[in-house]
Formats: sequence, structure tokens, C-alpha cells
Amino acid sequence: MASVKFKGITKRYTEHDTVVNQVSLDIADGEFVVLVGPSGCGKSTMLRMVAGLEEITDGELHIGDEVANDVPAAKRGIAMVFQSYALYPHMTVEQNMGFALKLAKTPKAEIARRVAEAADILKIAPLLKRKPRELSGGQRQRVAIGRAIVRKPKVFLFDEPLSNLDASLRLNMRVELSKLHHTLKTTMIYVTHDQVEAMTLADRIVVFDSGVIQGIGTPKALYDNPPSLFVAGFLGSPSMNLFAGHLSACGDTEASVKLPSGVQLGAAVDVRGSQIGDPVTIGIRPEHIRIANDDEAGTVRARVALIEYLGDCVVAYVELVGSNEGLSIKLPGQGTDLKFGDEIRIALSPRDCLLFDRHGQAFARHAVGTA
Amino acid sequence: MRKSKSLPYQRMLNVLTWAIVVISLLPIVWMVLSSLRNYTDIASGSQLDAGFSLRWQNYRDMWVNVDFFTYFKNSLIICGLTTVFATMAAACAAYALARFRFKGSQATSLGISITQVIPGMLFFLPLYMLYQHVGDAWGVQMIDTYHGLIFLYVALFTPASIWIMRGFFVSIPRELEDAAIVDGCSRFGAFVRIILPISAPGIIATATFIFLLAWDELFFAWILTSTSEVQTIPVGIRLFIGQFQHRYDLMMAAATVSTLPVLVAFFLTQRYFVKGLAAGAVKG
Repeated sequence: MASVKFKGITKRYTEHDTVVNQVSLDIADGEFVVLVGPSGCGKSTMLRMVAGLEEITDGELHIGDEVANDVPAAKRGIAMVFQSYALYPHMTVEQNMGFALKLAKTPKAEIARRVAEAADILKIAPLLKRKPRELSGGQRQRVAIGRAIVRKPKVFLFDEPLSNLDASLRLNMRVELSKLHHTLKTTMIYVTHDQVEAMTLADRIVVFDSGVIQGIGTPKALYDNPPSLFVAGFLGSPSMNLFAGHLSACGDTEASVKLPSGVQLGAAVDVRGSQIGDPVTIGIRPEHIRIANDDEAGTVRARVALIEYLGDCVVAYVELVGSNEGLSIKLPGQGTDLKFGDEIRIALSPRDCLLFDRHGQAFARHAVGTA
Repeated sequence: MRKSKSLPYQRMLNVLTWAIVVISLLPIVWMVLSSLRNYTDIASGSQLDAGFSLRWQNYRDMWVNVDFFTYFKNSLIICGLTTVFATMAAACAAYALARFRFKGSQATSLGISITQVIPGMLFFLPLYMLYQHVGDAWGVQMIDTYHGLIFLYVALFTPASIWIMRGFFVSIPRELEDAAIVDGCSRFGAFVRIILPISAPGIIATATFIFLLAWDELFFAWILTSTSEVQTIPVGIRLFIGQFQHRYDLMMAAATVSTLPVLVAFFLTQRYFVKGLAAGAVKG
């Protein structure tokens, strides 16, 4: 097991093509870190640099106590699981799993023991004599993980390993991976664009965009208090409702934002240093919006434009009356009786609203109960 | 959903297919038939008139008259080594072109394509002079030698082979090499241990293709060799055409025998041949 440290890591293909820019990140020994972000954000390049498959243009990569920039891939003590499994089609499962050990000139008996041990953990012992083409997608993924396990690596690298699986299998494998991490207690770096995978698997999530880190934190911390507009919009499904507006009032405990339509919304944040009229973005999660009574004060009128019934919940897309601003509301599946065209009143509690400055950075929230 | 074709349409396609098969096989049947006929029957164009009277003696005569075994041996050596060297060269070049973006890779690809549109015969004079010069200046005899022909054939057949193999390498996911490198292979090790075994159908197809081309080549074999110690089968067959008499019966017998190794090679590898040539044609 080992920690991984990125110190100002940069990857540049050409002078004008910087894929990863000055990334610094400390991953603790035994931690499960998920790098998440949209396609092309540089997360896979980060992983490939750790694996030794991409050269590092600038910065230092530490694996354990060693600077690993120039260490060959095989000597880094890492194992990688690829999106397409990357099983060698001309070898059996057993040969696939033992290939790295064979190259390392490990005695045959030791290879057999470690392959059997990994096969037991992953429940693929009956498949050892088969070729990859004779396996299902889920079995192939297990073999790919098994191939990584037998090497007893210091760091596991996963590059979107569940992307090729169907939804139910993906869920099962997610649980398996989580269990595996608890069993092995090895450092794991996992790349995905699927935020559900990120939220469910990670000890810590690192959100990437355009080659830079947009936010680092536990899934709960990043979800509840996103440090930037990008993180706020990226995490969560449906995504956070975001409205551009201007600061219209700056109180000690609450700020007011005026939207272009004239609607006023409040957020319990500390806006010290800002001026009235500053451009800001206000955001609220769909599950924090409540349907209010008609006579309730401080609520906003909206019209239902679309209803999505998802079983356990209902997602309603509504438009604010008198404006073309729309937002989504997540409501319980039971007891919600909304129809297309219904006019409702919605309550957006300032305690649940977040505020971001013109650069997309979040204002600090007042602790719950102080507002 | 694909619309099923009507019965008359299917029948028409079958008739057309059989017609193509018959037309393709006719010269071969004619060759085999002529190899079993009398010289005078062939000369008068009456191969069909002789009925079932087959003249197997032609095969013995052919073997005795022109030392056919030597030509056969020469062809096997030259074509075998050409196949080995050209396949190796093509595999390495095709892999590089399929995988790496390097300065000049586009120009190299274009250059390889261009060589295919230039008729080989145009190289005859400069090549002959070059071979002679190499012999005179450096003392390395190239004309009338095995290595002279092998060197030429490798140069002639490698470009087309590169294109066939390139399609195959392109269709192999890069992640396999990445996985091999993480497992402890060097890039060349990944090529040898992972990519080459996976590419076996493409390599076998290409090797068969090179062997067939080399086996049939007459023009350069004819002008670059002058003794039976190095001459190949096509040259040997050509020798049955004399100044005063054309021994078509023996020529056809020799042609039939010379076709056998090619047929065997093709039928043994045809599964790979079709698979290999089709590689990369469709997204898999």
C-alpha cells in the first residue's frame, strides 16, 4: 500500500494543448479516491500518468516515498483495470491473471497460488481455463480485476471499469468493488464520468474540468457545499437549479438576489466584501424545493411543464410565472399529485440556497440554525 | 429489418455465382486437361477429341527434360525466404503506421501507396544497373543469385503487405498494449507477446499473399537469372518454349505441378486469408 502525491502535475501535448494543468493532490494510503468530470477533462490522462502510460510534462508524482516520474510502469507497484477489460484474447483466464507474475519471473507455484487466491475472492475459480471470448461482460470485468489483484499492487487504478456493463450489473460490480476495497485496504484511484459511481464508491471525490481540479472532498461535503459553480452543477441528478442574477441586498445572515424576471430569492450566505448589484448565481437542489400552500408568504408562483415519474420519486419541471426561468423539483413518489399545466406555489428556503460569485466560487454558508 | 429477397432473384444470383465459378475454373481445367494430352493434340487445338486417353507420361517427361526438381527447390527457397522477410518487415512497418504518430508518418503512408501505382517493369533497367554496380563496386554478386531475387521480392511485395496488415493492427484495441506495458512488457515486448499472436490471421493472410505473388513472378526472375541453379518455376516453365518447338504438353504439366503448392497453401490458410483481408473494413 502507498500514498500518491501529485505536485504541480502538468501534461501538455503541444504548446497550445494542455490537458492537465498544475494539479496538486495528496491521496492517503488506503484511500479510495474517485476522479470525476466530463469527457475530455483530463481525468483519464491523470490516471495514465500514474500508470506510467503517459509522460509527465511538468511536476512531480510520488508513489509512496519514491518520485515515480521516470519509473517504468511495471516497477511502479500499480495495477490497472481498463474500460474495455483489455484481457489478452489468446490466453486463458488463468494465463491472463498470471501474465504479469510470469514476466516478473515469479515461481510457477507462487503464480498458481496467487491466481487461485484472487479467483476465490472474485468467485471466478470455475472460469480459469476459459478464454475471454467465452465469458460474459461481468465475468470479464471480474477477470480484469483479478489480474490486478494477483500483483498485490500498492495502488489500484480503475479507468471507467463499469462503463461497458448494463445497469444492474454495474450496480452489482459497484458493491463488489466497495467490498474489495474494504477487504484489501489498498489505495485505489478510480476514474469515471458517472457521478453515481463517484458518490457511492469514493472516500473522497476529485472533480475535474478542463484539466484543473474544481473541487475535492467527501461525497457529502461536495454535494452539500460545492466549492464552485461547476461542482454544484456537475454533482447531483437532476442537477442543481442555477439562476444568474444580481445581489439586491446584503444582510448579516442572508443575501437577496434579484433575477432578470424580477423574482427575489434569498440565500443564507456570508457575502461580506460584495457590493449590491454584483453579478451572482444562486442555486438550489431539486429536493430542497417544497410545494407551498397558496396563502404562504415568501413563495414563488410556478407552472408545471413536465412530470417524470421515477417510482421512488417524481421530478417536476416547472416554469416561474411571468418569466421563462425553469427549474426542477424532486418530490416523493407517493402522495404527489401534479399534472401538466398545474399552477403551484413553491418555497425556496434561503437555508438551502447556495450563492456563487462572478468567478463561480461559492460564498460561505451560514451554519444551519444561525440563519 | 432487412427485406428477404424473392425466390427468382435468389435463383438468378445462384446462376450468376455458378457462371463466375465455371469461368474462373475453366483455364485451370484446360491446363490440367492439356497436361494429359499429346503434343500434337494441343498443337491442333483438339484436346477434347482424345476422350479418356490420358497421357500421364508428360509429367515424367517434364521432370526429366528440364530438371524440374531444381526449379521447384529454387522457388521454395526464394519464395519461402521472401515470405519470411517481407512479412517481418511489413508487420513492423504496419504496426508503426497503425499505432504511432511520428514526423513523416503521413508522407510514409502516401509513399507506400504511390509505389503500388507504378508498374514494376519500370524498375527493370535501373534495377539491373544497380545490381550490376553493386557486384562490380562492392563485390556482392546480386544478379543470378538467391539473395538478389529475395531482396527484390521483399522490396516489391512489402508495401502492399503493409497495407493489409495495417488494417489488422488498427482494429486491435490500444488498451491491450497498455495492459501489457503495465504488466511488465516493453513496447516491443507487448508487440511480440500480445499483438503478434492476436494478429495471427492477418499475418498468415499476408504471408500467403506474399508467397503467391513471389511464386508466380516471372518477369524479374527471367531477367535477373541465367542459370538453372537459381531459376524459379515460372522461368523453368518458360523454357518449354523453344526456338523451333513449343512443348505445351510439358509446359501444362509443369504448370499443373507448380500450382499444387500454391493451392495447398491457399486452402490451408483460406480461413485466415478472408478474415485477414477483411480486417478493419467494418467497425467491429
